[in-house]
Amino acid sequence: MTYAYYPGCSAKGSSTDYEKSTQAVCDFLGLTLVEMPDWNCCGSTPAHAVDTELSAALCARNLDIAARQGAEMLLTPCPSCLSNLKHAANRLEKPEFRARVDALLDNPAAGNFPAVTSVMQGIAAHCDVNDIAKHIRKNLKGLKLAAYYGCLMSRPAELMDFGDPENPSLMENLLAACGAEMLDFPLKTACCGASYGIPERAVTARLSGRILKLAACMQADAVAVACPLCQMNLDLRQPQAAKAADAFFNMPVLYFTQIMGLAFGLSPAALGLEKLRVSADSLLRKLEAEGGKS
Amino acid sequence: MRIGIFICHCGSNIAGTVDCARVAEISTGFPDVVYATDPVYTCAEPGQAAIEAAIHDHRLDGVVVASCSPRMHEPTFRRTVERAGLNRYLFEMANIREHVSWIGKDRDANTNKAAELVKMAVAKLRNNRPLLAKSFEVNKKVLIVGGGVAGIQAALDCADGGVPVILLERESTIGGKMAKLDKTFPTVDCSACILGPKMVDVAQHPNITLYAYSELEDISGYIGNFTVKIRKRATYVNWEKCTGCGACSEKCPSKKTPDTFNELTGVTTAINIPFPQAIPKKAVISAEHCRQLTKGKCGVCAKICPTGAVVYDMQDDVVTEEVGCIIAATGYDLMDWTVYREYGGGQYPDVITSLQYERLLSTSGPTGGHIRRPSDGLEPKHIVFIQCVGSRDKSVGRPYCSGFCCMYTAKQAVLTKDHLPFSQSYVFYMDIRAPGKLYDEFTRRAVEEYGVEYIRGRVSAVYPDGEGAYVVMGVDTLLGRSVEIKADIVVLAVGIEASRGAAALAEKLRISYDNYGFFMESHVKLKPVETNTAGVFLAGVCQGAKDIPASVAQGSATAAKVLALFARDRLENDPQTAQVDTRRCVGCGKCIRCCPFGALKETTIRGEIKADVIETVCQGCGLCTTTCPQGAVQLSHATDNQILAEVNALCRC
Amino acid sequence: MPVLNSKELRIVGFLCNWCAYGGADTAGVARAGQPTDLRIIRVPCSGRVDPLFVLKALLEGADGVLVSGCHPRDCHYAAGNFYARRRLEVLKRFLPVLGIDDARFEYAWVSASEGQRWQHVVTSFTKRIHAMGPAPHFDDAKPLLRVADMALTALRPLGTAQNAAVNELKQVIKDKLPELNCVIGWQQGYDGAHATPLFMKTPEDVDKLSWGPFNVMNPAVYLPLFKGKKTGVVVKGCDSRSVVELLQENLIKREDVIIFALPCEGTLDIARVNEKLGRYTRINAVAYDEAGVTITADGKEHRFCMNDFAQGKCYGCATPMAVLADTRLGEPHKVNPVSSVPPELAMLDDMALSERMAFWRGQMERCLRCYACRNACPMCVCRDYCVSDSRNPHWMSQDADINQKLFFQTIHALHLSGRCTGCGECQRACPVGIPILALRQQIARAVAQLFDDYKAGLNPAALPPLLGYEAHEKNIHERDWK
Repeated sequence: MTYAYYPGCSAKGSSTDYEKSTQAVCDFLGLTLVEMPDWNCCGSTPAHAVDTELSAALCARNLDIAARQGAEMLLTPCPSCLSNLKHAANRLEKPEFRARVDALLDNPAAGNFPAVTSVMQGIAAHCDVNDIAKHIRKNLKGLKLAAYYGCLMSRPAELMDFGDPENPSLMENLLAACGAEMLDFPLKTACCGASYGIPERAVTARLSGRILKLAACMQADAVAVACPLCQMNLDLRQPQAAKAADAFFNMPVLYFTQIMGLAFGLSPAALGLEKLRVSADSLLRKLEAEGGKS
Repeated sequence: MRIGIFICHCGSNIAGTVDCARVAEISTGFPDVVYATDPVYTCAEPGQAAIEAAIHDHRLDGVVVASCSPRMHEPTFRRTVERAGLNRYLFEMANIREHVSWIGKDRDANTNKAAELVKMAVAKLRNNRPLLAKSFEVNKKVLIVGGGVAGIQAALDCADGGVPVILLERESTIGGKMAKLDKTFPTVDCSACILGPKMVDVAQHPNITLYAYSELEDISGYIGNFTVKIRKRATYVNWEKCTGCGACSEKCPSKKTPDTFNELTGVTTAINIPFPQAIPKKAVISAEHCRQLTKGKCGVCAKICPTGAVVYDMQDDVVTEEVGCIIAATGYDLMDWTVYREYGGGQYPDVITSLQYERLLSTSGPTGGHIRRPSDGLEPKHIVFIQCVGSRDKSVGRPYCSGFCCMYTAKQAVLTKDHLPFSQSYVFYMDIRAPGKLYDEFTRRAVEEYGVEYIRGRVSAVYPDGEGAYVVMGVDTLLGRSVEIKADIVVLAVGIEASRGAAALAEKLRISYDNYGFFMESHVKLKPVETNTAGVFLAGVCQGAKDIPASVAQGSATAAKVLALFARDRLENDPQTAQVDTRRCVGCGKCIRCCPFGALKETTIRGEIKADVIETVCQGCGLCTTTCPQGAVQLSHATDNQILAEVNALCRC
Repeated sequence: MPVLNSKELRIVGFLCNWCAYGGADTAGVARAGQPTDLRIIRVPCSGRVDPLFVLKALLEGADGVLVSGCHPRDCHYAAGNFYARRRLEVLKRFLPVLGIDDARFEYAWVSASEGQRWQHVVTSFTKRIHAMGPAPHFDDAKPLLRVADMALTALRPLGTAQNAAVNELKQVIKDKLPELNCVIGWQQGYDGAHATPLFMKTPEDVDKLSWGPFNVMNPAVYLPLFKGKKTGVVVKGCDSRSVVELLQENLIKREDVIIFALPCEGTLDIARVNEKLGRYTRINAVAYDEAGVTITADGKEHRFCMNDFAQGKCYGCATPMAVLADTRLGEPHKVNPVSSVPPELAMLDDMALSERMAFWRGQMERCLRCYACRNACPMCVCRDYCVSDSRNPHWMSQDADINQKLFFQTIHALHLSGRCTGCGECQRACPVGIPILALRQQIARAVAQLFDDYKAGLNPAALPPLLGYEAHEKNIHERDWK
């Protein structure tokens, strides 16, 4: 399988730690991610909310680049990019829609597009749970984690192809393979407030607060995420969320790749842990202590 | 034969698009037809009189009426020809209304088609033979399967009517689901207080024989003459000696036995009497939990029993009874609601079914009638009721409405307020279905007088908030916003399904059941308690969701059917049964193997094995006729020759 | 009276009284307009619809046949439609081998309340039949004669069974003889190139027993005649399957039959042997070797290699040794476990529908209506009460026309549904060599495809698929009438 890698804008800005850890973990597992040349923004939320054709045109260009590169599969770490790319590819299957989109592009997209999938599914396809267990250098035993997928990763079910849309389990499988104790987190696909963090801060604070509060009540050591925006809302906006929930949190919110990286013995610096607003030190200390025990 | 033809105009219903006079004219050309006419209304009294007159005047020995569907007026015209002295089976109908005039506007095509249908009917009639019913004796005794409120009502009404009743109950006490209820809607009277006396009547009635803790093993025979085998399961207690004093269960050391009567909300002892008003009030040992029976040592109850009733080596006993008809009143069970993962799927201790909640409300329940959370025994303050859990939900394969959940949810919310005046109840509902007498008024009282907050919408998720309560997330479709409620206890109005084992029982009874296991009545509207197997009747929820008044009404209705049936000493069969030509029969037994009713049996004629039809059991499906390669079994009135005549009349032209 | 020319086609419906007929009434009450072609025959239950009614209608000139009954599980008679479903599905898979397009026959489940569904079923079925046009008739087809290609590889080496333990078997039979009414086997016929059945009652009779490629007859055919008398029978593998089937159908009793078996290496196709021998007056000698026989007729030698002259059924035979026996002597050759299509059926498979119709037209012209096929069939247990000779029921007329002859063959084939073991006696007995076995083989193939590879005559305790049902059929799927 030949892959093309589409990092998405966040990877170059707010979530460089996601990008760094994703690269490091995939590299470690032998899954080579070659960044596509000359990719552009997927359009994010504003584009498709305003104009589906324009949004599809942005994605079509990216899909076209991947196709010309000869990729069979396009991987992206960001659920929002994934959702846009998948929706666009799906809509572009209709000839009349495609004709309208082609008209917007300087170079009409050619031929068939590669399939699009998430880095998480890419990792799982590349090496199964047993393979991952073989790579463990530092077992995460004793670490209680809440896996939080956000609302986009598994929905709409028929398009995203991510298992049970209400109860996905891939992240749990990957992290459990690393030895972590995965909580049955009821809000795993609830909304964090997403981009309301800018226009309606209170909404995001309330929704994120609810998630963090439940994770705290369930005595999670950290929340594992796969979405740059979720991470930002839960981590950067944690004080706002705490205020809304009338509570105090000190809940590290890590990308699942950062946690896997820890299990593979990669250094915190290589995983960009210093970028977290809520420090992961408590986590690392607990891990050391548990390691001492066993 | 001398056949007369009557082509009905049915006013303009047929004549509007069929040239009836032309059809009558064509008909005179068909073989054996000596008379044809086209009356305006054949089924009206003058029309029928004209048929009778024509039979006399033209010495007809066969009549064809072309009019509406035979499902409508075949019985009418059969009586007509019978009055004129013809056998009722020397009559055929051609359906030229529902199948011709009402479905096509092309007059030529319709006229042609009508004539062909008449031609077919004539061809069949020429092969008809007079058929005579046989009469047989009736065993005036009834078996009632299921001792819930429907079965109890049927038993009491039959017994009061002088009919000996055998009442069969799977559990160790009668009472069924109603016995588990605390109060009943819409009057909020005590369930045990109104059902209890009826249960006592059952125990004391000289005409009722009660087999509790027993199941139906096998049924053979037919209306008027069924033979049933009843398996009396081992109770390990001699009920002749047991006085129901309860000393055994006080001393029983195995105190962790799941309490099924209390819907698993509590525990009981391995030897126990399910509840104080149980009928029969006799102890039963749960073999899986009794130390004596599982480990071979204990024997406390045997020592303590003042009458020496405990028998550890008791075996199942099978008894045979002869009855004339059977009432099935097997009720329902709750569907497996753990498929609802979004409500916790059975993992959260304080998310319970409404039947469990009923036990928490009941004084005879595990909490003595105090509402306490199963998880920590605390009194709940906020109670959320979720309706339609497994009802009207295609996604879990339950498209039907369970009928009574709206009402009992309102009742439980009302009772909750009575028990816990400072509590607040919320009800998530789809629609409130309260069509019974005083029902809607009752749900209004719940809202208006008891302050129950009704929220129209579905719940998307229930999850523990980590602090001991539960978050119920849902939508209020009237206000168009999502809602979140913190609940201390969540009560699910779980939908019903046919009681476990219903399908197997239906097969023994040879009655049909639907995709959900509910038994099929003979006609949805007009034969709601009869089945397609003569002598088998249905009462209560086994036929479909219904509440207590409807179940009781059906119980009484079945009793009326039984009493009407038993008012006669002899019954007549429908002569449209299979007949065996013993010369052609080679005794291969294929027909016996296929018959859905067990109406064929082996017999020996001059040393050779032959098939034989039990005419009273035969329902006339004709499967045997299709199965027999040599054509030795022929279904009267639908013989191979009769159907072949119709095929030939149609195709050879 | 004729169908309205060019406007209508002849469509016959068989509807159960309780559901489908009620559904048609409901459609009428709702004034749900429908094409006028359909003529409805009311039957009590879809289980009453003998597949032969459908065939009768199609052979007598119907352009389409529609059967309709209650939805599975809703049968007024609890299970009638479950049986109907299996039988009608077998019929559907059988029609094409005759050259009849199976799209001309359909069955559908309609409840009494489903007036709209009924309207839809009738409309779309009528539309389908109109799209296909009037059904072609066998009478109109131009006869086509074609012969099956017999250049085949057998699943096991074919031979003449020269090493079979015949003498040991004779001794075993002699030992058992006192307790038996008789033992059925074969002996040499009027010359060395023919065998005839042998009924052994004395040790001298036993000495006449022969074993070899001329033992073509199936001795199981005689067993039901001896019902109630303890009888022995010597069998080839294929014959034993007939014995098993008779046991399964309760036509003989296991305790009344003693089965003796030797491994079979194949039997000769006497028709093809005679064709090669041509006209002759006398067989002078028959010499055996391992691979075949040499027949000297009128002084001229003819060599018949088993591999070239075996009966069609022998090539695909997977049971060279009896599947059920009291005495088995010797070991059969190993069978290569691959599936194979019998040569007669393969020939038909390669034809278009119209060619098949022309083929059967040609073959049926040659049929003498002698019923040798029926009399040779061990499963034709009706004996003197065959429906072909009967007026009650009166399935067939005595006319010697193509339709009557072919209808008899379909009666035989359908009566053998799930029962035919493929012994091929019908075809072997045919004096004019019509490959009628192919019709039975197609039924057997359909039964195997539909019901877990069921093969008749392997297990006396098995429930024959057409005498049973599953509420949910694995391989039968409801038609989509959307």
